[in-house]
Amino acid sequence: MSREIQQVLRLIMLTGKQKQRRVLKTAGGLLVLLWTETELSGQKINCTVLSDLKERMFPCVGPCPEPDPKELSAFTDLYGSLGLLLAFQMKDARHCTSEWRAHIEAFLRTFSLANAEINVHLKFRLSQLDSQQEFKVKIKSNVVQANQPSLKLDVTCSRKSPLCVNKGRWCQGGHPVLGGRLPLSIPPQAMDQGLLGELSVQFVTLLSPCVLQYPNAATELTHIQVLVYSPSNVPISGPSGFFQTLPADLDCQQLGLDRLHCSSFKDLMHGGGTVYAVDQENWDDPEQESVQQSLLVFLFLQHSDPFISHLIDIMATEVLIEHHLEDILNNNRQAVTTALQTELRNTLTAQNHRKKHQDKLHSAAEVIISSSLSIVSSSSNMEFRNTCLNRMKVHDTRELSASLRESLWRVTSWKFIPRGSCYSTQMDELPEGDELCRTEI
Amino acid sequence: MGSRTAELFSEIDKLRTELLNNVEVMTDCRRAEEDISQREILTRIESVILGIVTSLSNDEAPVLALPKRSSWANVSFNTAVGLQMSSGCSVTSIRSDCPSSATKFAQIVKILSVIYRLVQSNAYATKRDIYYNNTQLFGSQRTVDIIVDDISCLLKIPRRSLHVLATSKGLISGDLCYLEEDGTRINCRSSSAAVAVSSNIVGIRNIVSSAKFIMIVEKDATFQRLLDDDFCTKLSPCIIITGKGVPDVNSRLMVRKLWDVLRVPIFALVDADPHGIEIMCIYKYGSVAMSFEAHSLTVPSVMWLGLLPSDLQRLRVPEEALIPLSKRDEGKLNSLLQRPYLTSQPDWQKEMELMQQSKVKAEIQSLAAIAPDFLTSIYLPNKLRYGGWV
Repeated sequence: MSREIQQVLRLIMLTGKQKQRRVLKTAGGLLVLLWTETELSGQKINCTVLSDLKERMFPCVGPCPEPDPKELSAFTDLYGSLGLLLAFQMKDARHCTSEWRAHIEAFLRTFSLANAEINVHLKFRLSQLDSQQEFKVKIKSNVVQANQPSLKLDVTCSRKSPLCVNKGRWCQGGHPVLGGRLPLSIPPQAMDQGLLGELSVQFVTLLSPCVLQYPNAATELTHIQVLVYSPSNVPISGPSGFFQTLPADLDCQQLGLDRLHCSSFKDLMHGGGTVYAVDQENWDDPEQESVQQSLLVFLFLQHSDPFISHLIDIMATEVLIEHHLEDILNNNRQAVTTALQTELRNTLTAQNHRKKHQDKLHSAAEVIISSSLSIVSSSSNMEFRNTCLNRMKVHDTRELSASLRESLWRVTSWKFIPRGSCYSTQMDELPEGDELCRTEI
Repeated sequence: MGSRTAELFSEIDKLRTELLNNVEVMTDCRRAEEDISQREILTRIESVILGIVTSLSNDEAPVLALPKRSSWANVSFNTAVGLQMSSGCSVTSIRSDCPSSATKFAQIVKILSVIYRLVQSNAYATKRDIYYNNTQLFGSQRTVDIIVDDISCLLKIPRRSLHVLATSKGLISGDLCYLEEDGTRINCRSSSAAVAVSSNIVGIRNIVSSAKFIMIVEKDATFQRLLDDDFCTKLSPCIIITGKGVPDVNSRLMVRKLWDVLRVPIFALVDADPHGIEIMCIYKYGSVAMSFEAHSLTVPSVMWLGLLPSDLQRLRVPEEALIPLSKRDEGKLNSLLQRPYLTSQPDWQKEMELMQQSKVKAEIQSLAAIAPDFLTSIYLPNKLRYGGWV
């Protein structure tokens, strides 16, 4: 079923891409409706995918059960007249497990990440139980590419601000960084199957949460997630052999990491792709509060073949790319690994600078506090001593030392420098339902 | 002999009379600075610390505002004093929450705590002691030197009152005796060896001298030459002093002290090049970096004895002894001519313009090309006898 949904999304995206050339709207709504139906032969799962694409491409091929008219009208109320309706049925509902549901959700969430202009609605009506979810994007970012359509990414960060940070000063989005573009050679076995033309991969990284407005805050990269997208921007899930063995090929020492290993911890991250847990070197200061960050690495596959123009052929090519992805990655193993190393190094260089700055500030703070305290402690001027104690609301110089230390550390670590490109206070002013979009070049 | 001596110093004596008639007495001002009490010094340091504590109590990062000591925009020229720091001068903010300035902030507070203890216990330490007590924090001696002067400027207290001493590099010789603060008697009258300038000039007392003039010598090499030629005996009574190039604060303080006590003409003997002229200007008018202490460091009455650019032509110094001005020399010469104090020195301006036109410079040693002992046997005696200064 998920493969069918994937194919449908591919069709919608490619159709939208073609139509974009004829200057027609592509963004809008997408509804994936799944429901179970009990028949004499057993329980079946029905799936309908609706889009508001303005041109009807495929008539509904029956016999497929019609979706609930109430659902249809709710959708058209939001997005206007129905443009596309595709329905299919799975004969055996035994596959409808919670894991399967989670997989569908993860897939659509991953889809929404790279197609932020499309509001995705998912509804389940399984065994008389209804559930629905909307993958609505709060903050999207427009990533401009040379000679390619720009990418519209969901950069919303749901991580809450630390306690000592004013909520209004916390950036609730991320700032994707356009990385390198790497040409890929197509392996012979893929060519034999008809995969020709030029293939490449565009890297984009997204670090969250954003702490750019807090230049002195310590950060710690805890997870890296790699997501691969087909040329139509539809997520490609598995095979992951290449990515499973990737940590062994990366130079962790150069990155300042102790270890990188595959993790099943996906709660923090969006579903799908490969997730790595990061163990850092020399992270030995438990008192130092650091912001835990995760890094999303998008791999956008790009393909062009001047001899292919029909939609059906383009879709077939995408299927080939997905089918041979493991071979393609292995065929370009060194180049892809080097490119990923570069992207990770660029991200971690900034973190390492922060660590060095933190160390400098920490050393300086110790000297400032001890020297100031030395003067207060040895002063015979009672008025001066008492004023210092009273200002910090303490009773003696021992408490003064702790209080000054804590205060200095807090004001320096959480020094705030506003950035116009961050998504902070304006989020509070934004009317409900409105989205924010920035362009990152 | 007596009449020969009188003849030798007649022009110098005339100059002295002229100077005594013209000089403004600045003793009140300086005395006020030197009388800053220990309590006052401690209070000023405490107020800096209180500022830090107050900032932290308001959840703000502490910031120190240091007057910019290197900016020409912060100095003004006064004919009686020289270059002095303007009131309301611009400042540099040293932030404790910025990685690029946090270390400097810490260094300043550390040195404040050292000074606080020294003043409290009436002990003294040199800048070198401070550096070696925490080399990791300071990194270099120069860092300590700069910060001590910054603190002196910030608190408006002379460095010596902060109980921080500096090892002097200057030398002095001639008709001069005095007592150091600890009671050591210093006699500079040895003909062959010079005495190091004291590191505690303020503590010097009981200065005894019958010197007719004091001569500031730019370079140590020239100073040693004068010692070797027994200059102080030949032109007795006199005092010669060198700061060995750009003078340190103690050498400048010593020259000022001798002027305050002896009130005799002070001449400068420097190379006929832009660097030498600049060194002479430091003694006479002060420096931008120490302009906040100008009153105790400058001697506006210093006269330029030699080597003058006009001397090179007059004496027909051999061409091979002359050196063409480099681009850097020309730049410095232009910069000197723009300085505010040159407008009140038309004769100096003429000499410098002559150097600009001739495009050559010369060291004092070039006079040896005329004759080996020309400097001490002919040049200097004639210059002093016939008033050859500007």
